[in-house]
Amino acid sequence: MNLTELQGLEERYLMRTYRRGEVEFVRGEGALLWDSDGNEYLDLLAGISVCSVGHCHPDVVEAVREQAGRLMHTSNLFYTERMVRLAERLSDSSLGGRVFFANSGTEANECAIKIARKHAHGRGVSAPTIVSFERDFHGRTYGSLSATPGLAANPALGPMLEGFRSVPFDDADALRDAVDGQTAAVLIEPIQGEAGIYPLGEDSLLAAREACDAAGALLILDEIQTGIGRTGSLWAYQQTPVRPDVLTSAKALGGGMAIGACITDPDAGSVLEPGDHGSTFAGGPVASAAALAVLDIVDDPAMLRAVRDRGRRLSEGLGGLDGVREVRGRGLMIGVGLEDGLDSAAITADLLERGAVVNAPEPRTIRLLPPLTIDDSQIDRAVALIGESLLSYRA
Amino acid sequence: MNASKLPPERRDSDPVSEAAERLAEIVRAAERAAASVIDDAERQAQSRIDEAQERADRIAAERLRAIADELDPPPAEEGWRPQLRTVESVPEHADEGEPSKRRAGEAGARLLATQMAVSGASRKEIENRLRNGAGIEDPTSLLDAILGPEE
Repeated sequence: MNLTELQGLEERYLMRTYRRGEVEFVRGEGALLWDSDGNEYLDLLAGISVCSVGHCHPDVVEAVREQAGRLMHTSNLFYTERMVRLAERLSDSSLGGRVFFANSGTEANECAIKIARKHAHGRGVSAPTIVSFERDFHGRTYGSLSATPGLAANPALGPMLEGFRSVPFDDADALRDAVDGQTAAVLIEPIQGEAGIYPLGEDSLLAAREACDAAGALLILDEIQTGIGRTGSLWAYQQTPVRPDVLTSAKALGGGMAIGACITDPDAGSVLEPGDHGSTFAGGPVASAAALAVLDIVDDPAMLRAVRDRGRRLSEGLGGLDGVREVRGRGLMIGVGLEDGLDSAAITADLLERGAVVNAPEPRTIRLLPPLTIDDSQIDRAVALIGESLLSYRA
Repeated sequence: MNASKLPPERRDSDPVSEAAERLAEIVRAAERAAASVIDDAERQAQSRIDEAQERADRIAAERLRAIADELDPPPAEEGWRPQLRTVESVPEHADEGEPSKRRAGEAGARLLATQMAVSGASRKEIENRLRNGAGIEDPTSLLDAILGPEE
């Protein structure tokens, strides 16, 4: 079946929720992808930061293969060792509390929102609110969507949940003013990902922590895109002077398998009780096996050091290109701000033609989230390809 | 040995010079073998050093995680209970100067340094971050407290 035929079937049978690139990928290895015509691509997006250990990493493939051949699912009515081991690993590597598994990032945030509301009710709050920054992206289910101001403003999808408010991005004073005795939580991204890679300033993070402490609210960091080594530490908060009460993870956690996690400190970990929350598939043995294999690869000082070094190399290379106004981000989470007159969507399409996969989250930004395992020669190739593309549009 | 197949300059050589030439060849072969042995030894040593460095990194990370817990100990394990304390309004911060420009403070700097160390950052990386991000002019004592004195 060729691409034209696929597009015909999509048009007939799939809901029109995506605008896909005009390519069918059929194979991946490391930072490389191949399409159905055998063309090779350098993947600088990793499935939106999912395939962080590279496509088809042999350790992840083997873990999935072995587990799938033994036991695929039991539900959460019974014990499976991989899930418990993964919870131990996630807790020990971060906040030291408890873990609730989900199947995606938005579901992990739903759990965090539920914890925040119940925690607030527990201290006598009658109408708990959750405060986020404008342009934050927390997901597309209704709780997470309500905390995603840009999407929640769509009246066709209303009404949203009550009790969500937002303040201008990185405005520490506005955040302080927004947090009051009714605040259940501040839910924010340490680096805004979907918005175009905008790191949150340290003063805003400190303001969030202090305001939450003063109000008795929870600080929830959405590390769905920043976590699992993306920024050069296992969690992005580890490069900041704050520690959240709750953090959420997904995307790279499963290395390509669908899994999310809501991770708490010991206090917040005791909020939810039997009957408060649940999921049929979450924390299943196959996804958990994949996640353990991913953590074996990423949660390693040498690997995280390499991510920081590779991030520097890529950022410095991009910063020297004609047409680049600024390079934002941390580690291998990079937003390339383009000069006026350059259209990121057109350049993204052009780069696909040239054999590089990137993403355009906003009209003047190219987003790069390459596999953490990308090597120096591939980084140099990425810089060269992007430079050639920019040059062709400036000419 | 067939003399006609020797190079012209060696056809008329005497037995003594031939023996000397053979001896020199033996010495050169021995030197090549010795160089190869040294290369192998260096490669093996580097491999051991790399392995030891990886092990040391892992041990350091585990140790630093333990330190982080000591700095920020988890509360005693208790079942969750409703925390029905009175809701208080957030205190005013007018007396704090310019709140949006405030730095992390000593506790924040210590937490930052500990978290970075736990995540595998080098002493130099943490030092740079403390100087440039947290505004600490001399982070030596803080670094020594977390990482141990520099050798």
